[in-house]
Amino acid sequence: EDAAQESTVSAELIAHRKRLVDEWNAWRSRCKEDLMQERKAKGKGVDGEKHAEEAKEEIE
Amino acid sequence: MRPILLQGHERSLTQIKFNREGDLLFSCSKDHIINVWFTHNGERLGTYDGHNGTVWTVDVDSNSEFMVSGSADNTLRLWNVATGKCLFKWEFPTAVKRVAFNEDDDQVVCITEQRMGHQGAIRVFNINREGDGTKQSKEPLYMFHPIGSKATVCAFSFQPGIIITGHESGKIALFDVKTGDEVNNNERAHNDVVTDLQLSPDRTYFITSSKDKSARLHDTKSLMVLKTYPTETPLNSAALAPKRPYVLLGGGQEAMSVTTTSLRQGKFETRFWHKIFEEEVGRVKGHFGPVNTIAVHPAGTTYASGGEDGFVRVHHFDDSYWRAKPYGDLEILE
Repeated sequence: EDAAQESTVSAELIAHRKRLVDEWNAWRSRCKEDLMQERKAKGKGVDGEKHAEEAKEEIE
Repeated sequence: MRPILLQGHERSLTQIKFNREGDLLFSCSKDHIINVWFTHNGERLGTYDGHNGTVWTVDVDSNSEFMVSGSADNTLRLWNVATGKCLFKWEFPTAVKRVAFNEDDDQVVCITEQRMGHQGAIRVFNINREGDGTKQSKEPLYMFHPIGSKATVCAFSFQPGIIITGHESGKIALFDVKTGDEVNNNERAHNDVVTDLQLSPDRTYFITSSKDKSARLHDTKSLMVLKTYPTETPLNSAALAPKRPYVLLGGGQEAMSVTTTSLRQGKFETRFWHKIFEEEVGRVKGHFGPVNTIAVHPAGTTYASGGEDGFVRVHHFDDSYWRAKPYGDLEILE
């Protein structure tokens, strides 16, 4: 029974953490979009592209 | 993860900073000196001599060409990183407590202290990068006096013309540099002095530490508190770890008596917290006094801490740090 309870707790915890990560990732995506707009408005298209390229390299 | 000990300061450290490549670490101290070190082996590359008081703050541009420093001798100085030469000196009625470059390396913001008939001020200077750097304008491009609580830390936001500040009261705020208007604030960001402010690489969020024993993550635009990391000791510094979901916190209370000192030898810790889950994940001890300043290598491979004990400790993260997934396989955006 204890073990069963523990596994429920940890399942809840895992779900909770997944939710926190999802919220964080959604917020980060919005930020990045916002930043791109800001850079365009500032007339820093070249810089923005450069940053985007750097980001791509990191992912690879 | 055996640390490299940098021994070259005779008094407590006030701020340390990596350059963009992370191969150099700048350190300033109450001993009036600024040092620069090779981070891979801890060798001292050079010293910047000239200040006549505690050097409170230092920042380096993204090309590692110019460095700026602020001191209790009431000057802000511009240095040539490679030659160690002081290129320009701005003088004020009070001490310079914080300096920071903007993203384009062509402006510097600084805070001067409020003291005896002088208001605290925030000034922005243009940095003329033409020629050898010795031709600078004496007059600030912008200057304003934040009303209310004294500003203790500052940085340029990702939004043009906006300065982020942290204050003695625990407030954080955004100022329009042109008008000096406070355009946004969070009075209750902390309950005590804000001691450090470090930005995310894209400047859209930042971390602050406070004497209220907590560190917090804030959205740069709304100043909303995103995350809180509560500890049991006053904090002097907080840093973000690139490429890993961690934040690093440092502080500690100075031991009052000799007996407690001997017990607490080397016990002052840098705390690692999970950035998203707000849970402590580890501690690294080593300093003989409070940790005053923490910096992380821009690639996230190394971190350094500067202590009240006069030492800088450089830690290169080992494989286990990169492999560890204490909370599973979730992908977390930077």
